[in-house]
Amino acid sequence: MTPLLGRTLVLLALLVATTGTVVGFAIGRRPSVEGSAWTRRLAFAFAGLMAAANAVMLYALLTHDFSVSYVAQVGSRSVPTWVSFVSLWSSLEGSILFWGLVLGAYIAAATWANRNSHPEYMPYATAVWLACGAFFSFLLAGPAQPFHTVFPVPPDGPGPNPLLQNHVLMAIHPPFLYSGYVGMTIPFGLACAALFTGHLGHGFIRPLRTWLLVPWVFLTCAIVLGGWWAYEVLGWGGYWAWDPVENASLLPWLTATAAVHSAVLMERKGILKGWTVTLVAASFLLTILGTFMTRSGVFNSVHSFTQSAIGPTILGFLAAALLFSVTLLATRVDTLAPEGRLEGAASRDGMFLLNNLLFVLLTFTVLVGTVFPLVVEALRGVRMSVGRPYFDAMAVPIGAALLFLMGVGPALPWGRATPEQMRRALLPPLAGAALAAAIGFAAGARSPWTVVTLAFGGYTAWVTLSEIGLPLRQRMRDHNEGPLEAFAEANLRRGRRRFGAYVVHSGATLVIVAIAVSSTMGVSKEFTLRTGESAGIGAYTLTFLRTEARDEPHRQSMVALVAVSRGGKDIGTMTPRMNQYERQREPVGTPDVRTFPFEDLYLSILNLDADGATLSLHALVNPMVGWIWGATALMALGGIVALVPRREGSVAFVRAASPAAAVGTVAGRR
Amino acid sequence: MNRKVLGAGLALALPLLVILFANLGRDPHAVESPLIGHPAPPFSLSPVEGGPPVFLASLKGRPVVLNFWATWCIPCIEEHAALASAAERTGNDAQFLGVVYEDEAPQVQRFLEQHGKAYPSLLDGDGKTAIAYGVYGVPETYFIDTQGTIVAKFVGPLDPPTLEAHLALARGQKP
Repeated sequence: MTPLLGRTLVLLALLVATTGTVVGFAIGRRPSVEGSAWTRRLAFAFAGLMAAANAVMLYALLTHDFSVSYVAQVGSRSVPTWVSFVSLWSSLEGSILFWGLVLGAYIAAATWANRNSHPEYMPYATAVWLACGAFFSFLLAGPAQPFHTVFPVPPDGPGPNPLLQNHVLMAIHPPFLYSGYVGMTIPFGLACAALFTGHLGHGFIRPLRTWLLVPWVFLTCAIVLGGWWAYEVLGWGGYWAWDPVENASLLPWLTATAAVHSAVLMERKGILKGWTVTLVAASFLLTILGTFMTRSGVFNSVHSFTQSAIGPTILGFLAAALLFSVTLLATRVDTLAPEGRLEGAASRDGMFLLNNLLFVLLTFTVLVGTVFPLVVEALRGVRMSVGRPYFDAMAVPIGAALLFLMGVGPALPWGRATPEQMRRALLPPLAGAALAAAIGFAAGARSPWTVVTLAFGGYTAWVTLSEIGLPLRQRMRDHNEGPLEAFAEANLRRGRRRFGAYVVHSGATLVIVAIAVSSTMGVSKEFTLRTGESAGIGAYTLTFLRTEARDEPHRQSMVALVAVSRGGKDIGTMTPRMNQYERQREPVGTPDVRTFPFEDLYLSILNLDADGATLSLHALVNPMVGWIWGATALMALGGIVALVPRREGSVAFVRAASPAAAVGTVAGRR
Repeated sequence: MNRKVLGAGLALALPLLVILFANLGRDPHAVESPLIGHPAPPFSLSPVEGGPPVFLASLKGRPVVLNFWATWCIPCIEEHAALASAAERTGNDAQFLGVVYEDEAPQVQRFLEQHGKAYPSLLDGDGKTAIAYGVYGVPETYFIDTQGTIVAKFVGPLDPPTLEAHLALARGQKP
């Protein structure tokens, strides 16, 4: 019964999405108020059906209804309830179903937010969104059907992949990732609408930017949460390995970040319209490429789902979306005429352009490195991988250049800068650069790239902080306000977008510096210890106390108790463990990480002999890794601050509802 | 029509699509079993329903289809019918054997009562046989020729034509 209900909902969603696509395009060509309303209704209906299908699946998972094929595949009576809950997205079919839920929510939210605005664009945008919705419904109805009926009903299931049961981050990372990935559909639809209608007016830039920034915030968090999960779970001591699936999430982030910046130029100068639209389309296409990479079984990765039949279907969709985008751009991009022009290269405008160039260069670098092994295998039949050295050699200089640019750009004025202005803008932050490099050198940084990154970081931090302080100082001087009041007025009530952007920059600066420091200044050692023996790493002394066995319903663990002291002072016991999951032969380790203000102590079991008396331990001291997580939160926070609508937004809303009231409000404010 | 945009777009898109298409169907996780061409690891395992243990050595002279499976594994349920009907058809020309992986005897017996039992299923209580064969997950099927040499390994659920082709290998016929 449940499987049938699920299948029906999926089929209805497919029907609604297909109809909505056709209706949307038709209304886009021949606009009508009634037609637009119908397009919106179909969008909401799609969202509702997807939500219902997900609710059915969740119910089946939580009640262990093994007659549903997906539940029989990933469910288990022995796992805790939260694991049953996250099983919704732990395996292929469920993850596509969850994708549908997120897509539906996005479409509904974007449709609702624009229900009274942009009537010429919205039917086209909705049509494109629902076309994507139709594709994912099709996947669910056929190749990735999660609602097959299983008969006879098995008494129990195997439970999800143990790596996914191993850490609570697994409950958080995928929803963020999907919210980032799927969300790129919305700006893509808006960009297509601009191309179809042949104009990208000033008023339409704001929704485009907003709906680009929302998935950008999610994707930023998701990439770093993925790294955090790898760090806390996989036990090799690092957080980023240039794994194809990690790259897959980075690629759209790079193009989206470039688009967020080019949208600023578009808004201020009326230029780069076609370019921004191209970047937005590329971000969407790269999310589909990423989906193919994780789900086709073509790429080898810890994150990928196992081989599946949906690879060709997703590739077909990718091909269709690519050709659609290229054709649409080629035929329509010339209609988006620029309204201004770029004045000088040595200005903030020029730095924006350079930023875009570097982001696109980095995108290509990562894309080529990810796909190159496939080319070699197709041509020569040899299996190979492009390793860390390639990615590091390319990404480190580009990353450092972007970090520097993040300081130079905001320091320079818009338009044209005189040599005197440039000197005054660019020279003082050098003090910050020298300070940061000196601190790093004193702390032991010797790798040239690390020192360079620290210097650039100091430069950018100087610029960023003075840019945050600038309007604040002005208000304190002109309005005689206290610092807190001035901060609230200058950065939170006014200029929120600007302030948000600089908060993002502060976070990004810290992230890049922390990556440089953690990847070059760590210590890594391997020990074999018998009970009672000690070993030293960095300032820490580790003593292997004993092994304890712990039983939980879904796993048995051997926990090594390791006493840690620093400078003779006891600072507690760490507990790296080996877990044996039901029905999985290989044990899965869980490292233990202790975070101090400037470094992490990271312990991971390499081997534990049968009687638990001899422990082989991998110990690392990782400087500044914890800063990456904190600084990413800062980036996300900045993005959210920049997203909070301006007061003018509420005026526009009032105006739409009642012209007289809006005029009154505007007049009253003046 | 902006030809430059069209040209650049296609120049990027088409090679990418061709590469991805050419790589469809490849399995980066597939590791050729090092056992292929080597003697099958010996075992003596008891059938689920009890009775004397089955020795691999005693089966020499007949091709053996050794299927590792479990009742909790959905693909194993899918392939069960193909294996059962092939076993009935070949009769004494080939020996089909199931090896139960990480499962309990009562559940296995209940499963076999429901789905039909065409050949013996053996209990591998401590998993030693699965380890000796390098089983990574279920279902996995090993094809052993009349001399006791492993000639092929198949990962995932078998369908009748695939099963027939691999069985032909075990019989010593060229594919």
